[in-house]
Amino acid sequence: MYQYNEVDQQLVNERVEQYRDQTRRYLAGELSEDDFLALRLMNGLYVQRHAPMLRVAGPYGMYNSTQLRKLAHIARTYDKGYAHFTTRTNIQFNWPKLEEVPDILAELASVQMHAIQTSGNCIRNTTTDQFAGVIADEIEDPRPYCEIIRQWSSLHPEFAYLPRKFKIAVSASPTDRAATQVHDIGLHIVKNEAGEVGFEVLVGGGLGRTPVIGKQIRPFLAKEDLLSYLEAIVRVYNLNGRRDNKYKARIKILVQTMGIDQFRELVDAEWEQIRDTDLKLPSTEIDRVKTFFTPFEYDQTAKDDTTLEQKLVEDDAFRTWYERNTVNHKVAGYRITYISLKPYLKPAGDVTDQQLDLIADLADKYSFGEIRATHNQNLVLADVKNSDLYAVWQILTDANLARPNIGTLTDMTVCPGGDFCALANAKTLGIADQINRKFEDMDYVYDLGDLKLNMSGCINACSHHHVGHIGILGVDKKGEDWYQITLGGDDGSNAALGKVMGKSVASDEVADTLQKVIEVYVENRFENERFIDTFQRIGMAPFKEYVYAPAN
Amino acid sequence: MPLLINREVVADNWSLLNEESFAPEATLSSGDIIVPYALYLEHKARLAEHDGQIALQVNGDDDLTELLENLDQFPMIAIDFPIFRDGRGFSIARILVRAGYKGEIRATGDIGRDRLAYMERCGFTAIQVADDQFKPEMLDAFGEISNFYQSATDNIRAVYHQ
Repeated sequence: MYQYNEVDQQLVNERVEQYRDQTRRYLAGELSEDDFLALRLMNGLYVQRHAPMLRVAGPYGMYNSTQLRKLAHIARTYDKGYAHFTTRTNIQFNWPKLEEVPDILAELASVQMHAIQTSGNCIRNTTTDQFAGVIADEIEDPRPYCEIIRQWSSLHPEFAYLPRKFKIAVSASPTDRAATQVHDIGLHIVKNEAGEVGFEVLVGGGLGRTPVIGKQIRPFLAKEDLLSYLEAIVRVYNLNGRRDNKYKARIKILVQTMGIDQFRELVDAEWEQIRDTDLKLPSTEIDRVKTFFTPFEYDQTAKDDTTLEQKLVEDDAFRTWYERNTVNHKVAGYRITYISLKPYLKPAGDVTDQQLDLIADLADKYSFGEIRATHNQNLVLADVKNSDLYAVWQILTDANLARPNIGTLTDMTVCPGGDFCALANAKTLGIADQINRKFEDMDYVYDLGDLKLNMSGCINACSHHHVGHIGILGVDKKGEDWYQITLGGDDGSNAALGKVMGKSVASDEVADTLQKVIEVYVENRFENERFIDTFQRIGMAPFKEYVYAPAN
Repeated sequence: MPLLINREVVADNWSLLNEESFAPEATLSSGDIIVPYALYLEHKARLAEHDGQIALQVNGDDDLTELLENLDQFPMIAIDFPIFRDGRGFSIARILVRAGYKGEIRATGDIGRDRLAYMERCGFTAIQVADDQFKPEMLDAFGEISNFYQSATDNIRAVYHQ
């Protein structure tokens, strides 16, 4: 994992003092509400329904145990004892006091963390594959490039006032686990015909009001050109993106309006001017950053373990968890292990201070002290030995962190919704509970297999409902919460946007409606066919017909 | 309006013209003037007789293609920030510097304290702050962050070249 040097540390320290002074001036009445708004947004502080909300950056989803303990301490000391992981792999505190935020930022800086650019119209936290570095099918570990992008984009003087927020995701596997096709820029680490490793670049994807799948702007970009090419794209966007209407201000609208070919011409013309400047990445720098992500010293004898096999035979509950919540590691004898933040009847992505401490201890003892957050609001211990899995499972189970539901219907991605968020049109947490109650029978849920359910409380789509196999969108109808259901979305390698099934349903009918959707799937599926594959094969009509059939 | 150059408040001898300045019955103010680019193009003939220096004020809506070929005719280009959220001026400044412009690059319009350091990094050599937005302590804003990751238009090199 990347470790700060003096430059990084000084920057976050100075940023804390800068924000402390800004807060002081605001509280003293020297800064207007509006002026302070822009400044606090640059430091991840929103004002929400009940209180300010502070969003802390988790760079490309990486956390270490020291940081988790600090986050636990912050949750305990400055908040109500819990925090919330987001779909950008960041972590949010929902109840900080505005006047204490400078102290929180100072605490964060002491463990190499910050809240810079976690909100505002700037380049946000870069995200990547939660299996980076430990999965066999990747071409190269994407994290060094994420770190290089993090540094380049942090406090970039030219791009702090873009037309709208800007999100970059990097993936290095044929299986896209970072939703790169629905990002402002998606980078795929690929090999060209000459065997060189570089980037395929996508641009103009995004969700929100106008969901769009990104388009390829460049099939292959050399590594040394990464920053100059990113800078060219963002500069063209900064100069040409719409600023008259915030709903049309994302780069996807510019690319759509202009057409990808004309957009590419502008980018290439700009790039020509800057590609041979000091934006050219020296290979020494790539190598330097790579040293922070070299593989751990894995135990070569781990593969000789026989206890796992035995436990799998003996303990059904453990086996279920193992099958659902752990994944093949590239090193024999290790498993990538999920920590489910989707317990029964609790908000998705929430963790208590005690859970954070416990996860930190687990990471130290069993997984080289590192923890990753996923864009579906779960956590991952990336390097657990086979022989340790049973112990890890027991500890996670006791802490309500081992619900064996990863990738299933109850592994819902859910925004905080109308209970917390000032933008939301409808509540989400109660609906998630309703669905959990309806689909309480886990055997049934396993039988349904991989099924991605995403629910957003408003059209801003923080929970990516457009790319859920099943998406649920809360809408406001004359003061009541209603829910629109989309089917057929996908944020993986075959990215697709869900289509609206029909008229929205009342809040007490969501789970029943889902049940009907599932029945159509079960009725029509081939053996081992996933929901999304059945949907693509049979189309919307059978679902629509059955769900909206008049009762008789 | 306070003008900041080299992180200090300095005297400003320029006056900014607007549409009214060019009304048929009006006489152009004498001395050094800043003319919005659109008005400059419209009133070129009238401006040819002006006895002081002429600078241009541009914004993100202007097509700068032609101007970039003739930059050396102007001792100063002012870049306007019509509203706080409009960040196009940062890119425009960098493009001017890249085009080899050696005159003053001045920021005008909605200038907040926290943008001063960014402006300096993007190549602005003068920043004009509205009277109601200016406070002397603003000058501290330049030095709040003292090192940077990326190169820009100042002399700072990207962190990997340092």
